[in-house]
Amino acid sequence: MSNDVKSNFPQRAHKASPEMRSILRVSSWRKIRSNILIYAALIVLLVLFLFPLYWLVGLSFKTRAQIFANPPLWAWEPTLDNYKAVLGMVIGDGALQGTNTGDFLKFFTNSLVVSISSVLLSLIVGVPAGYAFARFKFFGSGAMFFGLLLMRMLPPIAVLLPMYVLLRQFGLLDTYLGLSLAYTTFSLPLVVWIMRGFFEGLPKELEESAMMDGCSRFGTFWRIILPLTRPGIVAATIFSVALSWNDFLFAVVLTTRKTQTLPVMMAGYSSDVGIAWGEMTAAAVLVILPVIVFSILTQKHLVTGLSGGAVKG
Amino acid sequence: MTESFARLVDRWFGQLAILPTMLLMSLVFLVPLAFSLYLSFQGWNIDRPLSGSAFVGVENYTALLTDDRFWWSMSLTLLYTVVTVALELILGFATALLLNIEIRFIGLFRTAMVLPMMMTPVVAALAWKLLFDPAHGVINYLLGTNVVWLGQQGTAFAAVTLVNIWQNTPYVAILLLAGLRTLPSEPFEAAQIDGASYWQVLRFCTLPLLKPFILVALLIRTIFEFRAFDNVYIMTGGGPADGTMLLSIFTYLTTFVSFDLGLGAATSWLMLIVAAILCAVFIYVLRDKRSV
Repeated sequence: MSNDVKSNFPQRAHKASPEMRSILRVSSWRKIRSNILIYAALIVLLVLFLFPLYWLVGLSFKTRAQIFANPPLWAWEPTLDNYKAVLGMVIGDGALQGTNTGDFLKFFTNSLVVSISSVLLSLIVGVPAGYAFARFKFFGSGAMFFGLLLMRMLPPIAVLLPMYVLLRQFGLLDTYLGLSLAYTTFSLPLVVWIMRGFFEGLPKELEESAMMDGCSRFGTFWRIILPLTRPGIVAATIFSVALSWNDFLFAVVLTTRKTQTLPVMMAGYSSDVGIAWGEMTAAAVLVILPVIVFSILTQKHLVTGLSGGAVKG
Repeated sequence: MTESFARLVDRWFGQLAILPTMLLMSLVFLVPLAFSLYLSFQGWNIDRPLSGSAFVGVENYTALLTDDRFWWSMSLTLLYTVVTVALELILGFATALLLNIEIRFIGLFRTAMVLPMMMTPVVAALAWKLLFDPAHGVINYLLGTNVVWLGQQGTAFAAVTLVNIWQNTPYVAILLLAGLRTLPSEPFEAAQIDGASYWQVLRFCTLPLLKPFILVALLIRTIFEFRAFDNVYIMTGGGPADGTMLLSIFTYLTTFVSFDLGLGAATSWLMLIVAAILCAVFIYVLRDKRSV
């Protein structure tokens, strides 16, 4: 064969010899193999991190018998009974532990109202503050920002106890106002932190030229700077909403009957689960669904939010 | 009239913009905190009126500092924090490296990684509780064992640690991924030209350049793991036999179950002091590396 290569090469330059072809095959084979390895690693990662979620969702679509089948069922005929039971449409089969049927809507509304109002408040108050911390350095501004950072990092349980006493004193326990105010303890510093990072990323020339044209500081902020930081606001909103929606500690302490939120409901389910796994997992899926959908839709902004706020701070 | 008002706003814009925030935070954070400090020096029970407490000086603090359960909780929490943060950083870094590869469909994997950390911790704890169920849980099925995971001290601690690592590694991964994508390409190109191996590039290029991000991740995760509550409380409630009695749970139980508010306040202040020390250390270290 080697003789063929020596004699053939000049004349058959347009077609690779067998030796050349095998070398080419090896290097592309190596690339394919490394790609396969990468995808394999990614899939392992995916399985490890999503399996509990997958299993949770799966259980919510199983009947009582399917849930407790041994060995566990990996493929089955799904049912909507659990969801119907949770939403109070039709009572599921068997005894439902806990008194949560049909109340789901109430908990959902509570969570929605409190999350939206606390995040709105944090945004209205926090976005201008983020701007100020980014652009203005006056006496005490550094210390105040540092104080905000510190407040975000301290354990919330330390604040919860006295807050409980104080709210009780003013009749604000178990109210939307009380809980929303309480939630600003963690969402406001977060908003300020993230927004400051974003504002710092904007070039100062924009404001300088606007003010040279006679725009006031507030006008510059409102009409020019603010629209440019929409991704930052989105990121801050996502994180704050997620934190408020998912919160358990504040809600369980500061609410009793009227304003209990979804996580508190789920906790009630968990201590009294018995064998009502189907209803419980259906409720659980409904609880996490809004935040999960929201974060999938805005996933790009999550990354920017984490880095823009967390690191530039 | 409005002319001078507008000029006033303009002149003090910075201060005015910050004012509502500082006011609100003082109201909802500083005031309760100060009140908590006051409470910690009182012997007080929940059914007494606000003014019906008795000053007991440092009695609450001395009671705590001589309480074995408190020290057990403190050391357990510190151990928990170290283990979870270390593993979250290592796994998060490895994940970030993997997710940084520009390959088809990588966007899908990046989105999927976000999901565990956005899940309500209570729900995540419930899901894992079902997985750990001795009789019907998938874990026992897959391992072929019959362990009562949440019923024994050692395994309960491991289980609780695992769940938190599972939920929070994505946070580190995404943070480090964002960092990786802002790294300059010159050092890596130079290293490649010099014929460095993958591990050498990792050790001498990636890690040093990524240090600010790693430090931020370290700080944030330490702070948040130190005060972990939701997951652990739902899965074990602090048990079995105090096997997972983290400080936050200890404080919660003292305050809202035993209803000893003075003692609870003192506990939370001790927790605060340790957290503040951790914060101060990290923030000091971060201040020096002001490269971002």
